[in-house]
Amino acid sequence: MSTRDEILDNLRKNVRETYDMPDLGFKKRIFEDPVKAFIETTTTTAGAKLMEIKPNDDINEKIHEAYPDAKIISSNVPGIKADRNPDTVAEAQDLDGTDVGVIMGGVACAENGCIWIEQTMKEKAICFISECLIVIVSKKNIVSNMHEAYEHIQFNEKYNFGTFISGPSKTADIEQSLVYGAQAARGLTVFLTE
Amino acid sequence: MSTKHTIAAEKFLQNSEKVTRHDQTFWSVRVKRDAQSQELPEWEELREAASQIKKHTITHLAEYLEKFEKNATKNGAIVHWAKDADEYNEIVMDILHKHQVKKVVKSKSMLTEECHLNDHLIKHGIDVVETDLGERILQMMHLAPSHIVMPAIHITREQVGRCFEDYKISPEVGNYDPTYLTRCARYHLRDNFMTADCGMTGGNFGIAETGDIVVCTNEGNADMSTSIPKLHIVSMGLEKLIPDYKAMGVFHRLLARCGTGQSTTVYTSHFRGPRPGGEMHIILVDNGRSKILGNEEHWQTLKCMRCGACMNTCPVYRRTGGYSYTYFIPGPIGINLGMLKDPDENYHNLPACSLCCSCDNVCPAKVDLSSQIYRWRQGLDGMGHADPMKKFMSKGMQVLFESPGLYTTALKFAPIANHLPKFITEIKLNGWAQGREMPVFAKQSFHELWKKGKVKA
Repeated sequence: MSTRDEILDNLRKNVRETYDMPDLGFKKRIFEDPVKAFIETTTTTAGAKLMEIKPNDDINEKIHEAYPDAKIISSNVPGIKADRNPDTVAEAQDLDGTDVGVIMGGVACAENGCIWIEQTMKEKAICFISECLIVIVSKKNIVSNMHEAYEHIQFNEKYNFGTFISGPSKTADIEQSLVYGAQAARGLTVFLTE
Repeated sequence: MSTKHTIAAEKFLQNSEKVTRHDQTFWSVRVKRDAQSQELPEWEELREAASQIKKHTITHLAEYLEKFEKNATKNGAIVHWAKDADEYNEIVMDILHKHQVKKVVKSKSMLTEECHLNDHLIKHGIDVVETDLGERILQMMHLAPSHIVMPAIHITREQVGRCFEDYKISPEVGNYDPTYLTRCARYHLRDNFMTADCGMTGGNFGIAETGDIVVCTNEGNADMSTSIPKLHIVSMGLEKLIPDYKAMGVFHRLLARCGTGQSTTVYTSHFRGPRPGGEMHIILVDNGRSKILGNEEHWQTLKCMRCGACMNTCPVYRRTGGYSYTYFIPGPIGINLGMLKDPDENYHNLPACSLCCSCDNVCPAKVDLSSQIYRWRQGLDGMGHADPMKKFMSKGMQVLFESPGLYTTALKFAPIANHLPKFITEIKLNGWAQGREMPVFAKQSFHELWKKGKVKA
């Protein structure tokens, strides 16, 4: 018998009583104004910055305003003036040295600042290797809690990866001192569009 | 009673400054967890849901594993099964050999600790680099984790700084600032991410319906480990499976709140298949889990999602440290998992519980940790590990309580003990006298007072 069948066999043999899946219809916390709550969470506990982008704003100017010292910008978002493109670089390593990566966010969650990033680029490294990250989020995509967020996440079948990101990378592994910028992005700015 | 835990704990307790810091560090995490839980009116419903989802999944695990395997395979991942640590280590080595891997970057996984994977890889000439900052510090210092979520929190910044100087990754000698040291580690680990041939991660959750592997980190190290190398190996215990995204919503809201007192980890990554041009292997590891399912009294330990909340709240863990336990997972859940793994080696941890039941009240999956420890204790005599002195005293108490005449006489003369010198009442043989004052016996017993009508309702 293969290991697989042996394990499955043991699991079936060792169950005595079975339990049903519970009803998850209990009442969950909803924000009256999820956009306001998302802004609050993102700029406090998540440790990120946030800029509201108006329809007539020049997004490239806004990027410069957010990170005036940035020399290398990477993005595959149409309309962004980028020095490197995660779709066309030969290897993920080629994105190392990126000062600012600009990516699109999907559904965003008010209770914890999580923004769903669906991989829509060849090298997902851009989401992590960039020194700072700009995530473009539409106010229309903001929900109250994770139950709602999980109803809306999408996957690009070509890439099969997605991640919730809430703020910059952080650690408190040395004597519990909170430090931003552990292994991934040191800073994160949300561009909040209408 | 002296066991390996009590002996090690006594040593740990000698440094009161260290004990206080350890205690306060973990208590502060418990306080943060409380604040998070109080923010959600549905907190108790979430815990109950988590417990029931786990019970359901664990008692239908074979079906869910088959479903998971089918979906993960459809997504392009390669699924392996390992019955024990040896088979698991062999599967990993096979994959690494096939890809001629020289360097592996690893994100935190308690399962690889359980199976001693790193030793196995190093023995076969593979360069293994832990990428969680705490784990990397411990790896450099040749130490084991002392907590499952905050593995190196017991190490001081000076120790970290000196270690980084030894490894030539901290150029500023004597700089022990945590931000500076974290920066040093960032550059050091960057170099390793760039040159590794394989990224290894654990799995916080496996989702049967979609075939996703979900990995939660704050540092982004699991993502760095899997964004650059083309080969990704996931190691996951069978019990980490959940049915679907509806369940994931429940667990996501509980995990970080319970573990570190945050409303979320920074990254919650869903791996559904290999990178373009890469390979993704998922190794499902049993290593005793299917046997635990058959244990009527202890099968619910399989509900554990390794958040560490039971350790943070445990008064014994906080004051004795992770290394006092004989099993690599300390605290209430570690006591139980250790007993399930090897009772003769790990019964030493059973006294490390005051039965205050705090762990039961914080566990997000409602594992009845302290009741389980109580049950293990009841079985100690049968295992031949009961403390002979306690057994002798219990026997004596049995004789006393079963003979009313003897009991009344003993009670009458008990106050004499008040006048005995301490070297008699606090002799070493009486383990309970150590660290405790002998109680003062009343001149008249309640029984006598009652008979004389001196007890007023």
